[in-house]
Amino acid sequence: MPVSDPEKLIAKADKLTKLSLTRWSADWRNATLLYEEAANLFRVAKKNEKAKEAFEKASKGQEMLSSPWDAAKDMESAAALAKELGNWNEVSDFYRRASELYMECGRPQPASDALVKAARALEDTIPDAAVQLYNEASAILEEDGKEQMTFDLYCAASSVYVKLENYSAAATSLLQLGLAADKCNATNSQCKAYLGAIIVYLYAHDFKQAEKCYNDCSQVDAFLRSDQNHCASKLLSAYTEGDIEEIKRLAQSSTVSNLDHVVIKLARKLPTGDVSALKTDAAKEEEEPLDEDDLT
Amino acid sequence: MSVIDILTRVDAICNKYDRYDVEKQKDLNVSGDDAFARLYASVDSDIEAALQKAELASKEKSKASAVAINAELRRTKARLLEEVPKLQRLAIKKVKGLSTEELAARNDLVLALPDRIQAIPDGTAAAPKQTGGWGASAPRAEIKFDSDGQFDNEYFQETETSSQFRQEYEMRKMKQEAVGLMVSLATNFDIPQDQGLDMISDGLDTLKNMAHDMNEEMDRQVPLMDEIDTKVDRATADLKNTNVRLKDTVNQLRSSRNFCIDIILLIIILGIAAYLYK
Repeated sequence: MPVSDPEKLIAKADKLTKLSLTRWSADWRNATLLYEEAANLFRVAKKNEKAKEAFEKASKGQEMLSSPWDAAKDMESAAALAKELGNWNEVSDFYRRASELYMECGRPQPASDALVKAARALEDTIPDAAVQLYNEASAILEEDGKEQMTFDLYCAASSVYVKLENYSAAATSLLQLGLAADKCNATNSQCKAYLGAIIVYLYAHDFKQAEKCYNDCSQVDAFLRSDQNHCASKLLSAYTEGDIEEIKRLAQSSTVSNLDHVVIKLARKLPTGDVSALKTDAAKEEEEPLDEDDLT
Repeated sequence: MSVIDILTRVDAICNKYDRYDVEKQKDLNVSGDDAFARLYASVDSDIEAALQKAELASKEKSKASAVAINAELRRTKARLLEEVPKLQRLAIKKVKGLSTEELAARNDLVLALPDRIQAIPDGTAAAPKQTGGWGASAPRAEIKFDSDGQFDNEYFQETETSSQFRQEYEMRKMKQEAVGLMVSLATNFDIPQDQGLDMISDGLDTLKNMAHDMNEEMDRQVPLMDEIDTKVDRATADLKNTNVRLKDTVNQLRSSRNFCIDIILLIIILGIAAYLYK
């Protein structure tokens, strides 16, 4: 077919789909073909707006033809173009729709992939939406029983939380990572996740939480036997003693350097706040009972 | 534990770590003056080597190799004999911290050298060595040698006392150096080793981590590969079916009548085209 004006194709396709007196049923098959062709031509011509609309219509046509797979594929293309245009709402909408269509096909993997793509696109602009998308993607995978794929997602989610400075949520997603790793018997990732969570709590200067986290994690056999456990216990004891040099030395150690980038950056910035305050707190708690004894 | 035990043990340790003790090496050189001790040591080792070679030569069955070794020995001897005058000159030089007995001992050592060199059996008849040796030492002023054997005993006595002094001197030095050696071992030798071991341990940590990650990645890939396996199996089965059907279809069409008609028609069309374009 000779190079035809994509606008004309769109017009023709629209005519095919619009119901009127002469046309009783829309010819979706041809219309979809025309829409897709027009969309490709627009994309090549870099007319992203028009291309995006064409893809949307093509996707709708595919739906009408009850081929959700193709519909989802078209939706994804539309979403990619929306990303280039910077319509973030549309991006998330399109990707969600694509993901639903994939689920209709009974293919959870591409569904979560679509959500992940959306999350990545939105990481910088709308981080809240991004973490939500990550969580949804992880949920889909876990339902399908594919926890191994979720590691990366949880990692990414926790890094976005750290960017948002929501440290408890970051630690939570790392713990979820640990849980997923536990189901897959991926002990190394699990231990790294737990150590990462402890470091995040320490960075947030929440020593109690860090200790609680450490105690919880010590219940897990795999963690108990690991290098990361040693490192964590040394870190916590260094905190109780207020030994800043020790903390810095541990942060440079190879165990910490094998963790995720974001966590390494946090570790290097330890100790935050006043470590000696923790020491005096611990000491004060011991002194008070003595004072009470003196009074009586 | 007696002093002798300590000394023996220190001796053994010193021998073991001799090459690491920079100070001792320097002292070895300084206790003789640099040039003399070095030269003497090298000449000494050459003589030893030559003696060993001489032994080999005597054991050799084939005449040709024996002759070759002897020739080399002779060449070595000549070279060493040339070195002796140099050593004599160096031996006379006075160095700080060196007693006169030491100096005397040195002279005697140098004098003994030509004898030793000549004594290396090189297949030639044993030449009269004594007179040559004595003759060479005649021009020196300090220790006078008359060429007759009378002074021989006294000469040897002197060497005995001087060697005793030398031994005492070395013992004293060793006692002093034993402590210094321990300290220097601790500082010069262990710390570089520690640093090296640290680096190795860091490298091993990285390797372990990478290995673990690779392991987990492989585990992750396994179910995916299984899926790919089933899908590809299905695809190959479909392909096989399609191929068989295609084969049947093509065979049907291949009946020779259709083929001939096709060829004739082609020829006609080509003929028309040629006619048109001529």
